[in-house]
Amino acid sequence: MRELTIALVGNPNVGKSTVFNALTGANQHVGNWPGKTVEKRTGVLRPPAARAGEAALSTTPTVTIVDLPGTYSLSAYSLEEEITRSFIVEEHPHLVVDVVDASNLERNLYLTAQILETGAPLIIALNMQDQAEGRGVRVDAERLSRRLGGAPVVSLVARRSEGIETLRKLIFVRLGQLAESASK
Amino acid sequence: MSVIAPAQRTQQITIRYPDAIEAEIAQLEAAILENQWLAATYNPRWLAIQLLEGDATLHRKVSDSPGAAPILATLAAGRARLAATYGEDIDVALVNCRYEFVHQVVQDTVEQTHRRHVSKSDRLDRVVTHPVWGIPIFLALMWIVFKVTIDVSAPFLNWIELVMTVPIANWTVAMLSLVGLGETWVASLAVDGVIAGVGGVLTFVPVMLALYLTLAMLEDCGYMARAAVVMDRLMRKIGLQGKSFLPMVVGFGCSVPAIYATRTLENRRDRILTGLLAPFMSCSARLPVYVLFAAIFFPQHAGLAIFAMYLLGIVIAVVVGLALNHTLFKQADESCFIIELPPYRLPVARNVWRQMWDRTASFIHNAWTIILTVSIVLWFLLAIPARGGEGAFAEVPVEDSIFGAVARTIAPVFAPLGFGSWQATGSLMTGFVAKEVVIATLAQVYHVETPAEADAPPPTVIEDARLIVASFVQAAIDTLKSIPLVIGVNLFEAEAAPEPTALMSAIRNDFGATSGGRGTLAGLAFMAFVLLYTPCMTAVAAERHELGTKWMWVSVIGQFAVAWLVALLIFQGGRLFLG
Repeated sequence: MRELTIALVGNPNVGKSTVFNALTGANQHVGNWPGKTVEKRTGVLRPPAARAGEAALSTTPTVTIVDLPGTYSLSAYSLEEEITRSFIVEEHPHLVVDVVDASNLERNLYLTAQILETGAPLIIALNMQDQAEGRGVRVDAERLSRRLGGAPVVSLVARRSEGIETLRKLIFVRLGQLAESASK
Repeated sequence: MSVIAPAQRTQQITIRYPDAIEAEIAQLEAAILENQWLAATYNPRWLAIQLLEGDATLHRKVSDSPGAAPILATLAAGRARLAATYGEDIDVALVNCRYEFVHQVVQDTVEQTHRRHVSKSDRLDRVVTHPVWGIPIFLALMWIVFKVTIDVSAPFLNWIELVMTVPIANWTVAMLSLVGLGETWVASLAVDGVIAGVGGVLTFVPVMLALYLTLAMLEDCGYMARAAVVMDRLMRKIGLQGKSFLPMVVGFGCSVPAIYATRTLENRRDRILTGLLAPFMSCSARLPVYVLFAAIFFPQHAGLAIFAMYLLGIVIAVVVGLALNHTLFKQADESCFIIELPPYRLPVARNVWRQMWDRTASFIHNAWTIILTVSIVLWFLLAIPARGGEGAFAEVPVEDSIFGAVARTIAPVFAPLGFGSWQATGSLMTGFVAKEVVIATLAQVYHVETPAEADAPPPTVIEDARLIVASFVQAAIDTLKSIPLVIGVNLFEAEAAPEPTALMSAIRNDFGATSGGRGTLAGLAFMAFVLLYTPCMTAVAAERHELGTKWMWVSVIGQFAVAWLVALLIFQGGRLFLG
């Protein structure tokens, strides 16, 4: 059985804990209060539900998700930033899932830009689509992906569990692709 | 399929810096690639950029790695060359490039379908976080939290006490009687040790539930982030930040949830400092002690004396905070306070509910062992005779027990404070179990019967069950009734229950004797001591859980020292001043 690790990052209060709970089935406390997660917590990513008549993938790896503290940047000025940064650049997670608040894209993307610079394989989870729409903000996910070096972008409303299954599948697909390109 | 090699990284360049910077990045990258260890650990381009940006943490890591000299030399040369163009602000140039990149991405991908108007949330924030109006709004909300916690929980608190002391204790004795242990020390241990201890934990539960309920609602609706903004400027003066204010307010209700509330602070230094200062806020368990002593020594100005204790707690917290801030907790550089104001929204019942239960359960889980242990140990200390022949095990008078002997040994410590009698000392010792126990112990050691314990015929199980249900219903009704009172101020008359005057005169006489006729000063010193000394064992358990064993001891010993010094100042200073 392969053991893979993915990191969950994002600014404070973008719904990271909600995404974490949805992906792992954990019951971590969710608050409308930035900085809820002060230590990194881990959970096991549940594999996508097999479709009817389809045998469960025998090669499905065990994927550990590490929920890192919310930060605005990767500069090591505070403990949270230091924890998050050293995990990404020194522990080399197989994949980084960056949860981004679609209604505050400009502020959120600074962290994304810094993660891109580290060269870590990235998936962008564009969360809070409902709030963004409420504010009249429409994000072109496909274009965003192209501008961010081809990192896949998934739209979510994590609070209502919308898009979580897509994200879950994408994580497994992406991990598979990365494994394949590594073996070439 | 093979495992993804950890070193595999996407090598695409997404952000391109100005040519002069790119040239330096390339040189530094080449130097890093020469170093096997660094090249294997970090993405060389990323590391080069961070080093040029002046990242101290990474600079240290690179310096500590073997064979770093060429990299450091290239870095120094590169930074020097860039300084010619960018001055000292190379980091600003790099950060700006990143912002420019982000800005471009947003321009390309985001479509604003309608103009953003000033939202309701923004309009509300103009008032709520206003430098002037924000403070009264904050204080009013905190007052409500405080009142709801105390008033809503009080009837249930009494209910739990009633259930634990009457039916549960009776049933336990009855069951022990079945196996012939009814009147023995085993029954006493079960009732006065174990059940009293468990009851001690449980009496905190309604307080915790009420407190966490109100806090969870404030938090979930988004107000807490605003409160932190409002209080930040004041808290900064004692080296804390806005979010530290909340645990302090909670501390007026109970130190235990206050210590747990420090969890909402991100920074460990702030968590510890806040956790150490929160117990100085006078918790509600200390109030009965003030009420009794104020009635004895300041019958004309009882309210003022009680209020002075609350004030003293705040002053001491500020003084200790300032002292710690300039010594143990010196900050290298003032951290800036950035908090995002989340949108206001209606609290989600599921979130509020879960938070209330999770936090309360975590408290029970962590507190019960230490509390049960201390209660049982205390029971044995009270049960074992210190001198041979003077009373049997579990039937010995308090002064002849080990407890009495220990109190007598410790008593001289308190002599300079004006209350060096073994009785006062003993009450402070049990005060460690819970501060309100101080009075029960005083009543016990001065041989004053507490009036309520009339000997009724033992009730049946059905009567007991009915009592439990009826009193629970009554508690629920009382709670509902108390809600309108939340806005009202009834701090001073609330708990002024008539105490047996025999106890009052006994205390007055004893304090007069141990203080050389300065009973009033000794009484005041005692009140201040009770306010400031080592928090109760439940709070200590909370400190161990949240801050770690080391800081628990700092609090246990430090607060004792602070209390002793302040009581000394009051008693001896008062003596000098009054001549």
